[in-house]
Amino acid sequence: MKLAYYPGCVAQESGKELDKATRWVCRKLGIELAEFPTFSCCGSGFIDEANPVLNTALNARNLAIAEKAGLDILTICSTCTGMLKLANVRLKDPAVRTKVDGALAQIGVQYQGKTQVTHLLDVLVTRIGAEALAKRVTRPLKGLNVGAFYGCHLLRPQDELASESAEEPHQFEDLIAALGATPVLYRGRVMCCGFPILFVKEATANRIAAAQIEDAKAHGAHAMATPCPLCHISLDSFQPKVEKSVGHKLDMPIFHLPQIVGLALGATPEELGLPRHLVSTDAALARIGTVAVPA
Amino acid sequence: MTATETVRADLDIYRFDPERDRAPRYQRYTLDLAPHTPVLTALLKIRNEVDPSLSLRYSCRSAICGSCAMVINSKSRLACRTPIGPEIAAHGRIVVDPMRNQPILRDLVVDMAPFWGRYRKLEPHLIEDPSKPMPVGATTSMTPEEVARFKETPRCIACGACYSACPAVEHDPEFPGPMALAKLYRFVVDPRDGATKQRLVQIQPNGLWLCLRCHLCTEACPKDVRPSERIIDLKELAIAEQGGTEHGSRHVLGFKRNIEDRGVLNELKLVRDTYSPFEMLAQIPYGLKLARKKPETLKSPKAIEGQSEVKKLYEILDREEGE
Repeated sequence: MKLAYYPGCVAQESGKELDKATRWVCRKLGIELAEFPTFSCCGSGFIDEANPVLNTALNARNLAIAEKAGLDILTICSTCTGMLKLANVRLKDPAVRTKVDGALAQIGVQYQGKTQVTHLLDVLVTRIGAEALAKRVTRPLKGLNVGAFYGCHLLRPQDELASESAEEPHQFEDLIAALGATPVLYRGRVMCCGFPILFVKEATANRIAAAQIEDAKAHGAHAMATPCPLCHISLDSFQPKVEKSVGHKLDMPIFHLPQIVGLALGATPEELGLPRHLVSTDAALARIGTVAVPA
Repeated sequence: MTATETVRADLDIYRFDPERDRAPRYQRYTLDLAPHTPVLTALLKIRNEVDPSLSLRYSCRSAICGSCAMVINSKSRLACRTPIGPEIAAHGRIVVDPMRNQPILRDLVVDMAPFWGRYRKLEPHLIEDPSKPMPVGATTSMTPEEVARFKETPRCIACGACYSACPAVEHDPEFPGPMALAKLYRFVVDPRDGATKQRLVQIQPNGLWLCLRCHLCTEACPKDVRPSERIIDLKELAIAEQGGTEHGSRHVLGFKRNIEDRGVLNELKLVRDTYSPFEMLAQIPYGLKLARKKPETLKSPKAIEGQSEVKKLYEILDREEGE
């Protein structure tokens, strides 16, 4: 399987461990990653709030780059997935299409709408299949209760993104179960992590993150896992601040999606970049019989 | 004639009477009903035939009045519009709770005063332009294009499902709520409204920019008003009106410039563009803590290959949009 790898900004910067873990897992599973240093940022929903046509054009360019190579795009971020898919939908509107095509023509790019966007979660559960993946597991995550945290833009708006369900998805839980861990069901799994307003009103963003972490904890989660590096920033990188805002420790390890997959497929914590997390994953690793060496 | 197929429906209903109960509880009622039966019909059957003490709010039973919004199997929605069959198939039972984010008065009835309070603060009604007073008894006409700009907002039945589903409402007492902002949008784009500019200015601090873009309201809305999308429309209008005066708008404009410069995000620069120098100082200790684990936080990424193409798209589409 060969896919156009769209790492997104965060996985190339502060969330580099996500890129590292993705490459490890894809290598292990024989997913070939074609790289395009010409890909731009998806706009992250922010550019869309100032200029939706520009945002659609930026993503039409990204889609066209993969299309020219005859490949579908592999994303590892819920927001990138949402923005790229939304561009494909919006470009079905003839008025938007004309405007964007006109601009793309001036940079010698042609968009035809043939490239599909698929998140690593979907590749693992749909293209490879949970059962096939389960057969590759060498270190079952037995005894680890994992709360999946989806990230809004993987799921909503459901009609446009054609996601499995806006409010009751189960792909991620299926994956967690296939890895030998126990999926934890809780309301917060489809809620917002607070990230979009982290720089608007940090206290509110922290309260929102706290609510989801506490919800997962109340339902027995030893760790959470997310397919979105922006959620990871909110839930892991800012967890010390979140703890301050609620006035008590949370100690909730937050895994990137490919990190829990990598652990089950036998990767070392270092190969998955776990020592880069703000919240130690040691307690979770101890449950499955491996402990990270401190950074 | 074939017998009507029925399903056995276990309904676990939230019960709480603050005058008599010390704590809320779930009470189970079991009924055999046709799968297409709405949850509201099941609740009324329980109230009329089994337990007259069950309190709920309802009126039209046909998704017009917006009275029967509640939380059914964890989703905020209208009871009259939710058939029991698919719920039983998906969950094995039907858990009915009162709407979220509002004080519970009794059983499934909530106090909607806070919902209306946050809404009224926005003055979601037509405010006449004092320089262009309308003669008494006069009528105005709008073009189909002008009406089309309202988008789906006139469909709103003020049921409160979006308010119940909204995490910003849940965690921030200042946030007006999805319906309030969608209704405000309707007046901002109304050609008869004389307060468009003030509205766009007033709604920004502790308002518009607290929307998380999570789209939970759009999924909850029974009338497909798509409040989250109207809020995004409002943000675009607010930026066009005022530029970057708020953290939210500075963040958006900073992000946009950032991608124009390099094609890829410069995380540190974005934070600098959003915060004031004083706020930036306050963030230094935490920034250093982060950078110890994630040194890239303090580095500038290289521009993407083909950045000139991105710049060109900005030249064509951003200038045009700004005009």
